[in-house]
Amino acid sequence: MSNFEKALEGLVVCDFSWVGAGPITTNVLGQCGAEIIKIESLKRPDILRKGGPFKDGNAEGFERSGYFANRNPNKKCISLNMRQAKARDVAIRLIKKSDIIINNFRVGQMEKWNLGWEDVKEINPRIIYVTMSLQGTDGPHKSYMGFGVNLNALCGLTAQACMPGQKPFGTGTNYTDHVMVPTHTLFGIMAALLQREKTGRGQTVEVSQLESAIAMKPIDSMLYAANEEILGGQGCGDANGAPHGVYETVGYRKWLAIAVFTDDEWTGLKRVMGNPSWAEDEKFATLSSRKANEEELNNYIEDWTKDKYATRLMKQLLAEGVSAGLVNDARAAIEDEHLIERDFWAYLDHSVVGRTLYNRAPIIFSETPIEMNTAAPLLGEHTDEVLSGFLEYTDDEIDQLKAEDVLT
Amino acid sequence: MEGELNNRSLSDVKVLDFTGELGPYASKLYAGLGAEVIHLEPITGDPLRKKGPFYKGEEDNIEASLQFLYYNGNKKSLAVDLHRQEGQEIFLKLIENVDIFMESCIPGYLDSLGLSYDRLKAINPKLVQTSITPYGSVGPYKDYPGSDLTCSAMGGFLYLAGIDNDKPVRACDNQAYRMAESYAAVGSSIALLYAQRTGKGQFVDVSAMESVGMALENSAQYWDLEGTIRRGRGTEAGSATVHPCKDGYIAIVAIMGKNKIMWEPFVKWMKDENVEECEVFEDPRWIEPSYRRSDEGYATFCRIFHRYTMQHDKMSLYEKGQANRIALSPVSNGKDLLENPQLKHRNFWQTIEHENLDGGKITFPGSPYAFGDLDWRFGFPAPRFGEHTAQILESLNYTGDEIAVFSKEGIVNV
Repeated sequence: MSNFEKALEGLVVCDFSWVGAGPITTNVLGQCGAEIIKIESLKRPDILRKGGPFKDGNAEGFERSGYFANRNPNKKCISLNMRQAKARDVAIRLIKKSDIIINNFRVGQMEKWNLGWEDVKEINPRIIYVTMSLQGTDGPHKSYMGFGVNLNALCGLTAQACMPGQKPFGTGTNYTDHVMVPTHTLFGIMAALLQREKTGRGQTVEVSQLESAIAMKPIDSMLYAANEEILGGQGCGDANGAPHGVYETVGYRKWLAIAVFTDDEWTGLKRVMGNPSWAEDEKFATLSSRKANEEELNNYIEDWTKDKYATRLMKQLLAEGVSAGLVNDARAAIEDEHLIERDFWAYLDHSVVGRTLYNRAPIIFSETPIEMNTAAPLLGEHTDEVLSGFLEYTDDEIDQLKAEDVLT
Repeated sequence: MEGELNNRSLSDVKVLDFTGELGPYASKLYAGLGAEVIHLEPITGDPLRKKGPFYKGEEDNIEASLQFLYYNGNKKSLAVDLHRQEGQEIFLKLIENVDIFMESCIPGYLDSLGLSYDRLKAINPKLVQTSITPYGSVGPYKDYPGSDLTCSAMGGFLYLAGIDNDKPVRACDNQAYRMAESYAAVGSSIALLYAQRTGKGQFVDVSAMESVGMALENSAQYWDLEGTIRRGRGTEAGSATVHPCKDGYIAIVAIMGKNKIMWEPFVKWMKDENVEECEVFEDPRWIEPSYRRSDEGYATFCRIFHRYTMQHDKMSLYEKGQANRIALSPVSNGKDLLENPQLKHRNFWQTIEHENLDGGKITFPGSPYAFGDLDWRFGFPAPRFGEHTAQILESLNYTGDEIAVFSKEGIVNV
């Protein structure tokens, strides 16, 4: 029995992925101890390096983006110009030593470099070969393009995320890229690694971004198929709770989320409100009657909350067993005592931007660490180190590759 | 044939799933790749069974919750009262041969029953126990009553779903819970691989509030690097905006930043379609994000673009836009998704007959991924309450008489 300290110690990832979902996937593997070798090139940097925010608002160069940084801590970055034929030889050396190779290019890009699955499995039959297409590799829309906002809309997330009867809004972010796609990719990779323990063989893992997103939001389609009902805007409501929403309190954009499902919770809320007479009306007596009169109910609740402190109400409600929570903005989440106590945030030192904010994966293991060791790499920061160390190139060979524009 | 099939699955992985409203998607991911998943239900039934919406509106039928039917497909139901000594014995026998035990109990609840992780680990040192709770099993909020909404709110995710001073809106299908579940599946698999390699199990703690921290995009860094608080996008003309059309809405990204090359095909498309006033889009000021964000820019864009979109339905706009290499997509509802030609082509939707719903058919989302050496399957329909209790107890060497007594005494539901 081996005695690893880190859960994924010894695993090597050849990481051709860029922008969002791919780098988030390898970020989690890296935090659990895998060695991530990120492949970029000055000719084709990860475009997120030019995505805001930037340290002090200064967008100069490739090293100031916080958007890029938070997806890429703990990684080593080598600069490899795949337009040069010899770059493939370097990639092959890395592939031979890797357990996982991942890309989120458009279908066909890796094949152009002769690094499709058919080629790569000959180079390393134990490798897990991961692709992340938008809508799968076959079918009439396989080449359709889209960004996170498009995928949110297409998969059905956007339609319900609005006030009833209003224009669809969505999550305000590229949500699908951040959780739905990376977690399915991660689980697929781990399933393939577990399978490899038995078979000794690698395999392909093909994630469809659209299909993995829908798998995490099944109800709109299931409901239409079963009952021919279409779900519209839900605001902050919930079919199984009332009151269930966010309510104005004192202060700038200070809302309090309150979610009541059971009769006990309703009784608890009434108690905190001082058992007002309106709340005793029959139309608020049961969940179904509260749902039927939800707008009126919400108006009463907000009349009560709007001149009070959210923090104080939250404490009172929690003490009565009612789930209540501040609608925290990013600053409040960063300063939140619970997340701090759980070491969710990490400040890592970087040679260009200094100490800046990252977060770890939301998993705490009792026996193995989640490590936040190094800040995001500079573009090509580890080219020499990885080539001369891990890939065993001589200094002369490295100089030669540099002279031939392979390592830019 | 059987051996062949087993090779293409995680059939050697055994998962015991003691979750309810929060948690069930984690083990569903395992069930989808052929792991054996036993869904342990309290003797009062999984609370998710009582959550709507329901098949044909049958809200009093504990077999009709659409959420339950999806998240518990291909799992076996074992209904046991863990407050009874005999129930605990059954549970402990199961733990001996389980790889992953997932639970969403209030922190401290299992300890109070004498079923702490330390005790379980003494029985099965390779056991991975994954706890999925609103706030996690450590930290100052661990005992707070939680809900999907409050986890979304506290973690900073909900705030992003709005602009300016608007109240935020909520993502569907309890996304804070779904995020925790998907990370719980990942964390469990990492711990399982480690356990297989080292013989050491571990306790894995996943919090929904913390999981939503993965969905903050760049907002935490906006505060850290620039001292600004951002909210959602939605009013920068043509850059991630939603627009009405004849039968609903579409979303479009016709430009990002100052990317002129991206904008040109959009202008050409509008010209090819002879949209009135579309020559306005040729003005270089559209390449400037500041103009697109201005009230004038946004209103002008909408005025001209809507002349076109309002004449067409979302699917034809989708096809025309994509043919012009524009990132345009429909704002799909449930019906649109069922009719989506790409998903149809890929046989994505899975329609399963449910005996316990009088043979009613339910349509479910299908496979999120495809593998070279593993098959995804929906598997058998979600179980009736306690459907597999007797079968599982027999496999633990309980006799028919013993099972009958347990059932009569309300220790199990068969």
